[in-house]
Amino acid sequence: MNNKFTVYALGIVGIVLLTLALSVMPDSLNFFREDKSAMFVFTLIVIMIMLYEVKLAKNSSEPIFLRTIPGLKAVEEAVGRSTEMGRPILYVPGIMDMNEVETVAGVVVLGHVANMTAQYETELDVPVARAIVMQSARQVTKEAYLTQGRPEMFNEDMVHYITDDQFAYAAAVNGIMQRDEPAACLYMGKFFAESLLFAETGNSIGAIQIAGTGSQTQIPFFVTACDYTLMGEEFFAASAYLSKQPELIAGITAQDIIKIILVGFILLLIVSRAFFDLGVTEFNLVTWLGL
Amino acid sequence: MKFLEDIILKLGAVDRRVIFVLIGLAVLIPLLTPISLPVRETPTTVKFYDGIEDIPKNSKVLVSFDYGPSTRPEIHPMNVGVLRHMLRNGHQIYISCLWPDGIYMALDALEEITDEVNPDNESTFDIKEYEDYILLGYRPGAEAVIKGLASDLRKVYTVDANGNFIDDIEMMDGIKNLNDFAYIYSGSAGYPGTFEWVKYGGDPTGVPMSSGTTSVQVNEVIPYVQTGQLIGLLAGMPGAAEYEKLINVPGIAIQGMAAQSFAHIVIVLFIVFGNLAFFIKQRRDRKY
Amino acid sequence: MLLKRYIPIAIVAFFGALTLSAWFIDNETIETFANDDATQFFDIIAAFAVFLGALNLLKLQFIKVLKQQSGWIYSAIAIASFFFAFIIGFFIRGAYFVGEDVYFSQKAAEAAILGSGSSEVVVPVDWGAHVQTDGSLFQWMFKYIFSPLSATMFALLAFFVASASFRAFRARNFEASLLLVAGIIIMLGRVPIGSLISSWTIMYILAFSIGIGINSYVKNRNVMFGWILGSCGAITGFGMTMGWPIDQPAIFFLPALQEWIYLVPNLAGSRAILIGIGLGIVATSLRYIFGLEKSYLGE
Repeated sequence: MNNKFTVYALGIVGIVLLTLALSVMPDSLNFFREDKSAMFVFTLIVIMIMLYEVKLAKNSSEPIFLRTIPGLKAVEEAVGRSTEMGRPILYVPGIMDMNEVETVAGVVVLGHVANMTAQYETELDVPVARAIVMQSARQVTKEAYLTQGRPEMFNEDMVHYITDDQFAYAAAVNGIMQRDEPAACLYMGKFFAESLLFAETGNSIGAIQIAGTGSQTQIPFFVTACDYTLMGEEFFAASAYLSKQPELIAGITAQDIIKIILVGFILLLIVSRAFFDLGVTEFNLVTWLGL
Repeated sequence: MKFLEDIILKLGAVDRRVIFVLIGLAVLIPLLTPISLPVRETPTTVKFYDGIEDIPKNSKVLVSFDYGPSTRPEIHPMNVGVLRHMLRNGHQIYISCLWPDGIYMALDALEEITDEVNPDNESTFDIKEYEDYILLGYRPGAEAVIKGLASDLRKVYTVDANGNFIDDIEMMDGIKNLNDFAYIYSGSAGYPGTFEWVKYGGDPTGVPMSSGTTSVQVNEVIPYVQTGQLIGLLAGMPGAAEYEKLINVPGIAIQGMAAQSFAHIVIVLFIVFGNLAFFIKQRRDRKY
Repeated sequence: MLLKRYIPIAIVAFFGALTLSAWFIDNETIETFANDDATQFFDIIAAFAVFLGALNLLKLQFIKVLKQQSGWIYSAIAIASFFFAFIIGFFIRGAYFVGEDVYFSQKAAEAAILGSGSSEVVVPVDWGAHVQTDGSLFQWMFKYIFSPLSATMFALLAFFVASASFRAFRARNFEASLLLVAGIIIMLGRVPIGSLISSWTIMYILAFSIGIGINSYVKNRNVMFGWILGSCGAITGFGMTMGWPIDQPAIFFLPALQEWIYLVPNLAGSRAILIGIGLGIVATSLRYIFGLEKSYLGE
């Protein structure tokens, strides 16, 4: 443990020195944007912690503790329930394109869900709002069915495009829910105002509903209307949680360490700002860092 | 007492379609028979108003229409109000759209204001295209458009919405990028909108900006008001109503306040009845 | 394996690292690539991918109609709407001007000239501009079909918010009760009707609510009545002294209270969630850049 923090402490010192060195380089060689120094230091620290944690996880035989996330535990339950009822699973990977990290995370979780539906021989329906997402989701689903040795069960139309338009898509998905009455509805990705339209319709047909999103404004709607909600970070941790791969779980450990560092940093900024405002010192860390 | 409890229990287990009907009526009746309710300005709206008042007179300002017909009832009154306010202060308005439907919203807003030019309406301003405003139009690419505007506007817009070359338009003289505007305003209903304007427009260029958003988005956007990245905010329809009051042009947002008030009361009443029913049921379950 | 695994991972790693470094490197080429070109590349790919999506949509809808599966009539409407929008967008100008008047077809415009005997000529609207010209068919579709349909879908939210909050807002425990009270204050305080409710009314309600609480825990009527009489007397006394101003004391005035909830506890919570989401996005992106996460390739 002590060794780990020594590595981090030395690493942070090294990163700060590197940044200082880049800042004082002669103009002819200077390609570094000094105004972004604070961000540069932060980015490198994040990278360092993440890579080191992954290295430790790879070399360690001890499993990393990951608290139970009820929403993710419920995914398997939802697939099982659909199988028992002989009804499909509806998976909505958000309404944005693949340039959104949340959509990518949604497609990744889809891969895990497809693994389960292939195992349980449950019907899967994935309506999408973007053509590129359709292609990626198809690829991921196909791979999942191949991995599970059920290629005959894969049908590329299980992932199908509807429209790019937000509310036309919402109307179509609601229509699918009303007609097919899926036993489970999973919403994983980036959502806007259509979130409650999905969740309330899903609730009216009695489906078990699990949502996962980083869309801050939509979290309250999902919490209100769904059975389980993966909020922000939990959603991004879903892939690691479901895959159970140590190097991915190590990424989450790294996230927690960074969070502790951030909390400490925020407290430091508050103290510095308070001293500055009270006239105790003329040095203001916030302005010095260019934040 | 038991009779009253039974009624509350029934209300607590009411079918959602009954709620839908009552909400529908609560919205419809005040819209059909307008009821005047006092509108009280909140600090974020006053800040927004002051922000626009503080722009030096006869400046060049950028107004972005980043919404569509679905959110029109909330955002449109704000944008019409902002156009009125800016024109009243003699600003030249440059209109961009990050949403494809935004251009239709902009056309409607301009038409609404142009109608006020009719002398019968006792209008206070007479607006002319290419003198008072220019409709740059919609460009696809979301944040890429804003980044482009920040670096070189003429790369993003070679022609305006009417197909006229930007270089040939006199009103575009001296406009190279966002830095040449005194103020940026985005009427936004989601992505792309306020977030993207702050991140790629307002922050990097330092041009003061503000926004009008739907009520749902307020939660996400309000931190930017506190940090000063947005000079005030019009928060949903109540924000639009407060702004209409501040600019002294009562419009559809103020009218909509009664409908919104009654709808909120209906929801609150149902929540109260639902909870009373919950407690009664809990007590009865304990007894038996 | 090379084509399906290593090359895609290498592409993601290279472009991810390049885009990230553009933030810190003062080089116009890299900056232009990250800020303009890369996003435009994506838009171009997405625009072409729409064809794939449209074909997939049509294929599935046609199959539904041909097999007369359940709800096939909606599929028929979807196909008809698709072609209607496609045709009026690409093949019909739909606006022919004769002076200020606009006609749907060239023939109608010519007939109008003949009818009035004027010397005006028919000016068709320019391609491209026809989608936004007032009076054109596309504009008509936008105004009278697309707009009301979109607005209807968005308006459904009002109904769904009502039914969802009715179902979910139950005072099951302390946290849920807190959420419930905060929700009611926000709902009433945000709208004008909230400013008609005097601070004193809220104080009386609060006094009675605390009285109910006392009764539930202490189960002594004398204590409860004592509290209610005492608190109501105090409130009345203060009210008479202060002249019953509607918005004083501000802490009990709903609009002021909702503003405080919005700007203090809510903002603090929002920021915490925002930081969490931000960190999640950073960590996820780095996992892709460093090739740690490969499940997006189906692995």
